[in-house]
Amino acid sequence: MTATYEVFLKKEGKDEFRHAGALDAATDELALLLAREAYVRRGEGDHLWLVRRDHILEEDPAFISPNADKPHRHHDGKAVAERRRSLRESASSSDDAQEQS
Amino acid sequence: MTEITPGVREFILAFADDEHLMGQQHTEWIGVTPFLEEDLAFASIGQDELGHAAMLYALVAGDDDAAIDELAFFRPDDEYRSCWLVERAGDDWADALMRHWMYDLAEMHRWELVAGSSLTALADASVLAEREEVFHRRHADSLLDALLPDTDARNRLEEAKDRFAGLALGMFEGSDGEDEAVAAGIAAAPLSSRLDAWQAAVDDRLGPTDWAAISVPAQDRRRNRSADFAALRGRMREVFDLDPAAVW
Repeated sequence: MTATYEVFLKKEGKDEFRHAGALDAATDELALLLAREAYVRRGEGDHLWLVRRDHILEEDPAFISPNADKPHRHHDGKAVAERRRSLRESASSSDDAQEQS
Repeated sequence: MTEITPGVREFILAFADDEHLMGQQHTEWIGVTPFLEEDLAFASIGQDELGHAAMLYALVAGDDDAAIDELAFFRPDDEYRSCWLVERAGDDWADALMRHWMYDLAEMHRWELVAGSSLTALADASVLAEREEVFHRRHADSLLDALLPDTDARNRLEEAKDRFAGLALGMFEGSDGEDEAVAAGIAAAPLSSRLDAWQAAVDDRLGPTDWAAISVPAQDRRRNRSADFAALRGRMREVFDLDPAAVW
């Protein structure tokens, strides 16, 4: 029976696999062959992965969404950088004060 | 450098014409195969066969595009050396798939027989072609794998096999010049030397066929054109024939 397959491509090198699209096919073998012609006909990738859509585990977005509201988990380093800078400055100004005395 | 004698030329043209017309037939399915992805795949296969034809015509005509066009499109009908299998018109998908499977199974043998050709450019072409043929055979085989377990599909494919069996035997009939090509080391053996292996593969896949009871079409060593050829040639030249004097 026909299944839907998600298509992933990767170029040679350090790039990761990226989602390219999807297709329906009657067998795994046909899916691989048809994906080659539908998604890699111009050398868009060197490696081809197919994943049957019904093998993908999906979580409910409502369960994930509370985590989008936690700014304290965003480590952009600004707060830490600010503290380090002010500590550095206060240390160097006390050095200056000692040299002057 | 191996010389292209008139006999060797006939031998190469028979292969080139088969590839050309098979490619043309496949490409006529663009837009009307049973589903989108098959459209892309089958058109690719047709395009590959046209590419093989171009390589083979170039062996005879050199790299001059006009000379290749002249051979491919503008020879008198009785100078083509195609077999009737590739000339047959049809709009039935079971026929198209069965012909694709039978043809590519034979094409594998054809390239193998010239893989060690004394004509270096032909041996090189066989390497390029076989890289593409691996996909053609997997494609045809995987469609059969998916379809044969279904009773209705199996019946339709078996009927298609019966319609094409005689024509397919005609593929193995060489043109004049095949013996000369073998003697010159251009090919290792006549294609007919692979007929038993081909028939065994067909029987293995689709059940026994009474091959002895099937007659080969009256191709006369590929000198005769079948009833469908003129219309096919007309479609191949359709745009050109609108205005032969046009400069493209």
